[in-house]
This record gives sequence, structure tokens and C-alpha cells, in this order.
Amino acid sequence: MISREEVLQLAELARLKVADAEVAGLQKDISNILEYVGQISALAPKGNTSAKAEELPLCVSPLAARNVMREDVTRADGDTMGGKEEALRAAFPKKENNYNVVRKIIQKDE
Amino acid sequence: MSDLNTLSITEASKKLAAGEITAVDLARACLEEIKKRNMDLNAYLEVFEDVEKQAEAADVRRAAGESHPLLGIPLAIKDNILIEGRKVSAASKILENYVASYDATVIKKLKDAGAVFLGRTNMDEFAHGSSTENSAYGPTKNPHDESRVPGGSSGGSAAAVAANMALGALGTDTGGSVREPASFCGVVGLKPTYGAVSRSGLIAMGSSLDQAGPLARTVEDAELIFNAIRGKDPLDSTSIEIENSKSQNTNNKRIGVPRKLLAQGIDADVLQNFEKSLDILRAKGYEVVDIELPQASLALAVYYVIMPAEVSANLARFDGVRYGLSLKGESLFDDYAKTRGHGFGAEVRRRIMLGTYVLSSGYYDAYFGKATAARAELAREVAGVLENVSLIATPTTTSPATKLGEKTSDPLAMYLLDIFTVTANLTGNPALSVPMGTVSRDNTDLPVGIQFTAAHGDESALFSAGKELQ
Repeated sequence: MISREEVLQLAELARLKVADAEVAGLQKDISNILEYVGQISALAPKGNTSAKAEELPLCVSPLAARNVMREDVTRADGDTMGGKEEALRAAFPKKENNYNVVRKIIQKDE
Repeated sequence: MSDLNTLSITEASKKLAAGEITAVDLARACLEEIKKRNMDLNAYLEVFEDVEKQAEAADVRRAAGESHPLLGIPLAIKDNILIEGRKVSAASKILENYVASYDATVIKKLKDAGAVFLGRTNMDEFAHGSSTENSAYGPTKNPHDESRVPGGSSGGSAAAVAANMALGALGTDTGGSVREPASFCGVVGLKPTYGAVSRSGLIAMGSSLDQAGPLARTVEDAELIFNAIRGKDPLDSTSIEIENSKSQNTNNKRIGVPRKLLAQGIDADVLQNFEKSLDILRAKGYEVVDIELPQASLALAVYYVIMPAEVSANLARFDGVRYGLSLKGESLFDDYAKTRGHGFGAEVRRRIMLGTYVLSSGYYDAYFGKATAARAELAREVAGVLENVSLIATPTTTSPATKLGEKTSDPLAMYLLDIFTVTANLTGNPALSVPMGTVSRDNTDLPVGIQFTAAHGDESALFSAGKELQ
């Protein structure tokens, strides 16, 4: 079973606040799921070489992917977002003079 | 004219073209049914206020000489598909009042065809679930038995179609989220070939697995919607053009059944219905043969590594900085953690953490690396089988719809509902669920579905077989 500390570490990596009361449940659930998906670790490492990556469907192997290029298109001043500015601004959680207000992230060294 | 909402799209389309009914009549019939049943079923999270106006516009277009099989047809849209200017929440608190700033490509295509959007349908939050019980806005109920789940994650769309509250619907399918609810609600559901339908404007879950697909009451209807939404799209570089009928297998009416996979865990009466359906297909000239898919027994384990890994990456964008729920904490880190901790429901948080685990440096090779290799093997195996048969058939699910609350306390038990559906997402193959009769539970007849899987781009083989079972 994964430990309480591991759950808290995962929550931190994933930027999730987890209530104290939830930790035990998460330990159990994540461990059960990991045990189930652990079946795949029984696969022999070299049993994997028979598939030619470039012959696989795109969702399985990116090797079949090709870059998609398009022409650069100049947009008029003030229309850098193709007329979507207002809609995007309207979604800002906190707005000031058309700017999105975010937390200051540069701080003095202590 | 009171039951226009029960028409198939094909029938309604004929009546519209003949001038026997108007799009407004159709829309009103659906709205009336919604008024009667949605309070109980909770299939729609929002019914749009301008439905009649949209229908009027469709009638005007028809009067001006336009014609398309979907012109004036009222459809329900899953709440993770963007329609410009309308709310889209993925049934999550983190996007509760989010308004889409553009149309998904599938929506643009349906607008061009003249479809009418009735509303946005309930789903498992961010499509994470198999029962629509993970919605932040309460579960949807199965129209055949309201004590049961409609399946998920496109449960609202499936219930809306099954309860005649829409003529058809769009859902999305990452591991079975169109087919499993189609099976539980007794409707037809298609997961197209990966890339056949653009993903632009879908709220992403697992980007190598996601496809939008139709839910409808007949195979013909599902085919109509699929033909309207498919096609290569410059906004989705994984999209591809599929020729109308690619089928190299036109004359190959051979269906493969992976008997070993069906040997246990399936309800006896579900298996009986499956055998009956195979008999019908035999009578229609199909040959049914046994096939082996040794890797397929690992598919669910592979899926529950790949999917959460992609989920943890895709859902990192919901941080409360530019849109959506935004909560303030003591620090920047706290802002993120608080917003995401409160905004995401339990299952979403569980999947993000699981994905974070399988991608973390110490475990990457053991989980994600192995899963990717197994996925490649599985794709090769399925492709190999489909050189000899044109279709693979299994039941869509192991049982009919389960009771509300039956699986919510054990995430793994819930995951097992997807055991037959995840393979097609991992390999990118198209798959269709079609009703195969009912089984009785607590004196109620509950629908179950049969699933067909075909080669990449061979949706037409799915439709042909599906039509034989109607």
C-alpha cells in the first residue's frame, strides 16, 4: 500500500489540496488501482519489439505523424486574437482595466 | 403530431423535406418531453432558451432552398463540447460559469448542416466515469429504470435520446463513454476511428484516446450524424480524411468472437442475447468464427495507466489563473492547490494523482513505458485479426445498467464496466454498440448492447452489421 507521505507528495506534485480525512481513502484506492494495473509489469521487456512503430496507428505511435504547416497570416492591429479578446477577457477571474490580475510571482530573496 | 419527438432522424428528415412538419414542431415536441421528464432524469444540465429560434432559422433555411438530412433536427450536446457563447462546464465546479469562446469543429459542422441544439447534457465530471454519478450536478437516471445509472460518461446524452427528449445526441468516447451508456440505455452509439472526427473544441481528457461520436435511436441515424461531423480539420493535426467506404472487406462478412475473453464475468442472460444476435447475423449471411486476442485481457490495465497519465497532463491547465474557479490561498502554490482541490471532484483528483504517479521518474518505465509497449502490441494484434475477419463482436458490457450507488464506493469496480470498450480507444479502431434485446432485473426489462469493432476507417462495416440487427 502506498504511504500517507506518498499521497501527500502526489497531491503536491499535482497541485491539489487534499483534506486530511481523504488521505486514508486515497491510499487504499490508489493502491488497489496500482495493484490491478500492475499486471502489465509482468510483460517481458523484449516482448515489445515486434511492432514496427511507424506502421502503428497515429494514436499509438507518433512516428506516423507529420507536421501540419500553414501560411502566416497578418492580423490587423488590435485583432491579435481573431476577435476573441472580449470573450477571453470576460473569463478572467479578476480584471482591472482590461488586464487579468494575477499574483506577483517575483519576490525579494529572503 | 404530439409524438414527433419519438421519430427517428431519418423519418423526421423525410417529413421535414416533404413539408409535413416544421423544425419548430419537432423542437417543441422535444421541449415538451424535456419539461415532463428532465426533472426526474437530470439528463440536461441546461436547456437552451433559444431552441425555437434556432428551429425557426432552420425552417427559413429550408424555405430558401437548403436541404441537409440534419437541417432542423433537434440534438442534445454533451457538456464537454464547445458551442460559442454558451456555457460549457464538463459537469465540473471548476468550469461552472465558463462560456465557450469558439465553436468545436463538430459543432461548426452541425451548424452548417442546420441542426438545432436543445441543450447541454450531464456527464461524469471531465468524462471521468462510467455511470454519470461523478457529475458535480447530480447523477442522471436511466429512463428504463430510474433506480439505475444510464452509464457514462455520456449518460445525459444517452438518456436524452432513450427518453425521446432529443432525436439524437453527441457524446465523447475515451474508453467507452459513448458505447457503454448506449448499451445501458438501449440506443446506438459510435466511437469513430481515431482521427475521423476532429477533436478541436472538445474539453480534452486523454488526447490519444478521445473521439466525439453520435448517440441515436437507429444505426441509420448514427451514420447520418457521423457523416456530418467527420473529416480532416486543420485545427486537429491528428484528424484524417476517411473515404466513404474504404472496406477492402466488402465481400468478407466474417465476424470474429474472442471466446476466451467471454468465458467469465458476463451475466448468463447477456451472453444468451449475444448468441441470439450472432444467430441473426448468421441467418443474414455472416460467418461467425472464433478468434484469439491474448493481449486484450490486459487492455483495461493498459488503459488505466495511459488514460490517467494523459488526464494529469491535460487537466494541468485548470489553474484558476485565466478562467474558471479561482480561489486565493497564502501563496501562489496555495492558489493552485486550493482552486484545484475544491474545483475538481473526488474521481478527477484521484485520476490526476494516479497519472502523476505513473509518470513520476521512479515509476515511469514500470507503468507508462510498459503500457505504451503493450498498447502497440494490442494494436498490432487487433489489426492482424481484422485482416481475416471484417468485424470483432463482444457484448458491449458484462451486465445491464447497475443500480445507482452500486459501484461508487469502489473505483476499481466502476472501471471494470469498461472492460470490453477500452480496447478500441487504445488501438484507434472504430466501434459501434447496437441494442441486442433486453434482460430482466427486478421485474424490469433492461436493454443491453452488442459491440462491433472494425478496421481503421471501416465504419461502413459496422453500420452494415448494425442494421441487420434492427
